[in-house]
Amino acid sequence: MHEEALLRDLVRKVGEVAHAHRAERVTRVRLWVGAFAHLSPPQLRERWTTAAADTPAERAELDIEFSHDTSDPRATGIVLVSVDAEPSR
Amino acid sequence: MAERTIRVDYLARVEGEGALKVRIENGRVEDVELKIFEPPRFFEAFLRGRSYLEAPDITARICGICPVAYQMSSAHAMERALGMTVDGPLRELRRLLYCGEWIESHALHIYLLHAPDFLGYPDAIRLAKDHPEAVAHGLALKKAGNALMQVLGGREIHPINPRVGGFYRVPTRGELEALRPMLSNALGLAEETVRFVAGLDFPDIEEEYEFVALQHPREYPMNEGSVASSRGLHLPVTEFEDVFEEVQVPHSNALQSVRRGAGSYLVGPLARYALNHDRLSPRALSAAHAAGLPPVVRNPYRSIVVRAVEVVYAVEEALRILDAYTPPPAPYVEPPASFHATEGAAITEAPRGMLYHRYRLNADGLIDEAKIVAPTSQNQKRIEDDLRHLVERSLDLDEATLTDACERAIRNHDPCISCATHFLSLDVERR
Repeated sequence: MHEEALLRDLVRKVGEVAHAHRAERVTRVRLWVGAFAHLSPPQLRERWTTAAADTPAERAELDIEFSHDTSDPRATGIVLVSVDAEPSR
Repeated sequence: MAERTIRVDYLARVEGEGALKVRIENGRVEDVELKIFEPPRFFEAFLRGRSYLEAPDITARICGICPVAYQMSSAHAMERALGMTVDGPLRELRRLLYCGEWIESHALHIYLLHAPDFLGYPDAIRLAKDHPEAVAHGLALKKAGNALMQVLGGREIHPINPRVGGFYRVPTRGELEALRPMLSNALGLAEETVRFVAGLDFPDIEEEYEFVALQHPREYPMNEGSVASSRGLHLPVTEFEDVFEEVQVPHSNALQSVRRGAGSYLVGPLARYALNHDRLSPRALSAAHAAGLPPVVRNPYRSIVVRAVEVVYAVEEALRILDAYTPPPAPYVEPPASFHATEGAAITEAPRGMLYHRYRLNADGLIDEAKIVAPTSQNQKRIEDDLRHLVERSLDLDEATLTDACERAIRNHDPCISCATHFLSLDVERR
C-alpha cells in the first residue's frame, strides 16, 4: 500500500512542477531510487503508466538511477531529481 | 517550443497513517484511542462476482510483506468449500513457501524496524553505520526468504505461482537443491540473530494477554490447525466467527476484532510460541532455551526474541522439506468440474498472526460473499490496551518521549502499520 502512496505523491509532485512552469507535457522524469526504497525500478516502470494516466506525465519516459549504497541517508527513499517539460504553446 | 529540464530534488513521502489520542483527567488516563487513517480498501466487496480461482491472486495484493499468507488462507478456504484435499509434496511445498515468507518478514521486522528501538537509533540506516554486520545479517536472511519466494512463488513480492489446488508449476529437485547453500548459511545467521536480540535490554513489563493461535497436533502451525487460546478455548476454524467478531469503532478506519464477551486478544509470534513451543524444531527449541525464553512470554518487547526463534524454525523446517522433496505427479489438484453453492473457511498463520478467510460461492463458482480478518485488526484492540498501560506508567514523560515510547509499543506487535508508526502523531488532552 505504501507503493501506491509513494507513486501518487510522485505523480502529484510532477504535476505541480509542470503546472508551476506552465508545461503542457512532461517528456522525461528522472528518479533516484534508494537501496531500501519501497519500489524497485521495474515496479516503478510497471506502475507509472497507470499512476500517471490523465496527467501531463502520462507518456513521460522514466530515467531511473538505482543506488546500491545502503548507508546513504536517503536509502529508503525515492527522489524526484528533475522533470523535462514542454511549455504550453 | 524548446523542452527544458526543471531541477526538483524532491523526496517522495508516505504520509503517517496513525495517530494516538490520549485523554488524561486529574492525573488518570481516561481514554486511549489508536486511529488508523488508511482508508478502507474494499477487498471483500470487489471479490464478489469474481471466480473462486482469482481469490489467491486478488487477496495477495492486500499486503506486500505477507502476500503468501493471503494466498494460503484463500486457497485453503476455497479447497474446503470444494471438498479438495491437497497433501503430500504439494502440502510440503506450501509450507516451504510459507517458511520463505516468515523468514523475509521477520528478518525485516527484527533488523530494520525493531532492533533500532532497543539500540537507540531512529532507523536501520543509522543502525547500519555503527552495526553494519547486524544489518548485513538481516539483509542476508531476508534474501534467503526472498529466494524461496522467488523459486516457489515465481517472484518475491505478490507471488503469481500459487493457486487453488497447489501451484501452476512446481520446482524441480535441482531448483530447490540450488537453495541449500543459502539456507544452510541462513540457519547460522538465524541462530546468531537469536543471540543478538536476546542480549538487548528489555523493559521489565508483562501483560495479561489472551493468546490465540492455530494449534496442530504435530507441527508448529503455519497452514493448518484448530483455533486455541491460552484461556482454554479450542475450536475448529469453521466456528471462528461464532466466537470472534469484528467491530467498528468511531475513531478508526480499521476494524477491531474482539472475542465476543471477553474483549481483546493477541495473535502473532508470542501467541504461536505460547501455544506451540513444544512443537518447535530441535535447533529452534535450543535457541529459545539458550536465549532464556520461558514457555510463555508475556513481555511484548521480547517478541523480537520469539520472532528470531521462529526464523530459526522456518529455516530448519525449509531444510527439512528440501531434504525430503520429491516432485509431485501434478502441480495441482484438479478442482471439481461442476459446482454447487458452497462455503469454506480457513485460517493460516501469517508472520503477524492468524489470517482468517471465508468465502461463499454460488453454483457458477463465483464468489457471493467474502470475509477476511487480518492479524492487524485482531491485534488492534490489544495494542490499544498495551498503549493505555504504557501511558498510565508514563504520565510524567514529555510528549516527544511519550510519542517515541508509544511508537515502540506498537512496533512490538509488528502490525501492518509498523513502518508508518514512525510517524505516529500523539494528541494528549490533559484536564
